Amino acid sequence: MEKNVAYIALFAALIAVLGLVPQITLATGVPITAQSLGVMLCGTVLGARRGFLAVLLFVALVALGLPLLSGGRGGLGVFSSPTVGFVIGFPVAAFVAGLVVEKWRVGLGIASFAGAILGGVLVLYLFGITGMAVVLGKSWPAASLLVGAYIPGDLIKAGMAGFITQGLARLRPHAVLSRG
Amino acid sequence: MPNLSPLSDDPGLILRDASFALSGRVILSGLDLHLTERRIGIIGRNGSGKTTFLRLLAGLIAPSTGSVTVGGVDPAKDRKAMLGLLGILFQNPDHQIIFPTVGEELAFGLRQQGLDKAAALAKTRALLHAHGRAHWEAEPVTALSQGQRHFLCLLSVLAMGPRTILLDEPFAGLDLPTQARLTRSLADLPQRLITITHDPAALQGYDRVIWLEAGRLRADGRVDAVVPAFTAEMARLGEADADTDLAL
Amino acid sequence: MLTLTSPFETPLHRLPAGLKLAALALASIGLMAMQSLWALGVAGVAVVCLYLAFGRGFAGYGLRLLRPLWPFVLIIALWHGWTGEFAAGGIIAGRLLLAVALANLVTMTTRLEDMMTLVERLARPLARFGLSPRVLAVAVALVVRFTPVLMDKAGQLMQAWRARSARRVNWRIVLPISLMALDEADHVAEAIRARGGLSGP
Repeated sequence: MEKNVAYIALFAALIAVLGLVPQITLATGVPITAQSLGVMLCGTVLGARRGFLAVLLFVALVALGLPLLSGGRGGLGVFSSPTVGFVIGFPVAAFVAGLVVEKWRVGLGIASFAGAILGGVLVLYLFGITGMAVVLGKSWPAASLLVGAYIPGDLIKAGMAGFITQGLARLRPHAVLSRG
Repeated sequence: MPNLSPLSDDPGLILRDASFALSGRVILSGLDLHLTERRIGIIGRNGSGKTTFLRLLAGLIAPSTGSVTVGGVDPAKDRKAMLGLLGILFQNPDHQIIFPTVGEELAFGLRQQGLDKAAALAKTRALLHAHGRAHWEAEPVTALSQGQRHFLCLLSVLAMGPRTILLDEPFAGLDLPTQARLTRSLADLPQRLITITHDPAALQGYDRVIWLEAGRLRADGRVDAVVPAFTAEMARLGEADADTDLAL
Repeated sequence: MLTLTSPFETPLHRLPAGLKLAALALASIGLMAMQSLWALGVAGVAVVCLYLAFGRGFAGYGLRLLRPLWPFVLIIALWHGWTGEFAAGGIIAGRLLLAVALANLVTMTTRLEDMMTLVERLARPLARFGLSPRVLAVAVALVVRFTPVLMDKAGQLMQAWRARSARRVNWRIVLPISLMALDEADHVAEAIRARGGLSGP
């Protein structure tokens, strides 16, 4: 029990910390943060259920007023702003990523990459674009145009999630709970 | 077996042929000990298994073979019963402090012992007041210095009133005045103390010293018998190039 | 400490958190229902007055919290400038700014403890499904305690990187940072276990 609580809480903190790692600017000029990489790792490392809970804890604390989102954002205002869909989609993204790693018994790196793409990119953008369309009063295709520039960055992050999960499994085999 | 000044009537800590192995690597083996004295020191080189030994006594890990009992209870099984019997002070206070503020950190152990929120808060305040640190209650733990965090860990163990306290190198990383203060606080405690140390001088006034070497008992007895032999051996090894073996 | 609660004490700080959240929910629904620029304009003036009533420092802090919205306001302006639907654009941007400003107002005037007390009360029925409010409280406290600790350690790792590399810190730093989080989690689990663990009553 205490191990689950500790892992869930520390990964919630990890998402926040990765929001502060210096931004990387892609060749297209779009800056990306590692925050959604943190969400992917919650799923691929902790598994579907614990990953979901870790990200849910993170999102709940953002709602309660902790400035944990990248750029020090937080509070209830986040849930009225155009990026609300991404924030709400975070826990689901981690769940899907974790589910893929748990169920698809290929190499951990491959499964994590696939899980991160399915959960951390596909599912997350479904939520994100829908939220943006609603808040900005635009059609779904128009809203997807606004965020399309970020997709290449998130695909790169899915690749990193694969490498990092594999690396963690090599260094701390007991800690990768998704394959525990 | 030495039995210099037993602590009242409690059965003490008993290890019977206890060993501990982690993924095939043996860290402790064949330990048969009956610990009843008030002040017990644990010495040994880096990697000799001292910290693992302490974690075994505290029930944070269970023996691979053999048995460990504290006051007649298996410390790895009955965590709740252990709270009043035994407390442990980790080597690094940052690995021990769980909560963001001093008050919450102290109250946690008390609530674990079944006190309700109000009672835990009252006892926390009384404890801080008794140690002249009433103003610490709302402080974030990050505002404390290393020595102060160490003291907070000691307070949170004391708050729970255990009969035995395990200390893992309580002086590591502390400056001299802080060491002196902590030594004083520890010397006055009525509890049984089992202390890991690298410093033979810290064992003054101790009743018994256990010397571990490569996970086994190398020597066990009075301070004046064990410590000189240990010091001589360490000096001998220091002359040779003894640092090439991998500890891990 | 790690929080967005305003350092400027206001009368709103003393209102119960549940009341403020209920009021926010109602106000947000009201905003969504507003169809005219006039109505939104009046609401806007009211919100600005509300902020200013608690002092210029407080209002300035509130304004800073709205800063992340500027790219979206710009997008709306460009879009509706191009289509010519100025009123519709004004309504969307106005609603967005007001909804976020009101939500921030609640966040700025409600302490984390008060929010937590409310959450613990609301979560009580969940105990039947195995989520004890106490475990929830411990989890929240752990995040509050360890986010700054991990930030600090991540900062040290980046410094160690720069000390030995002419190249900028890149994504490879994420692996050691994650490793640190895992190790820290093991220490925390052990520290909780040392004081009785979390299972049981």
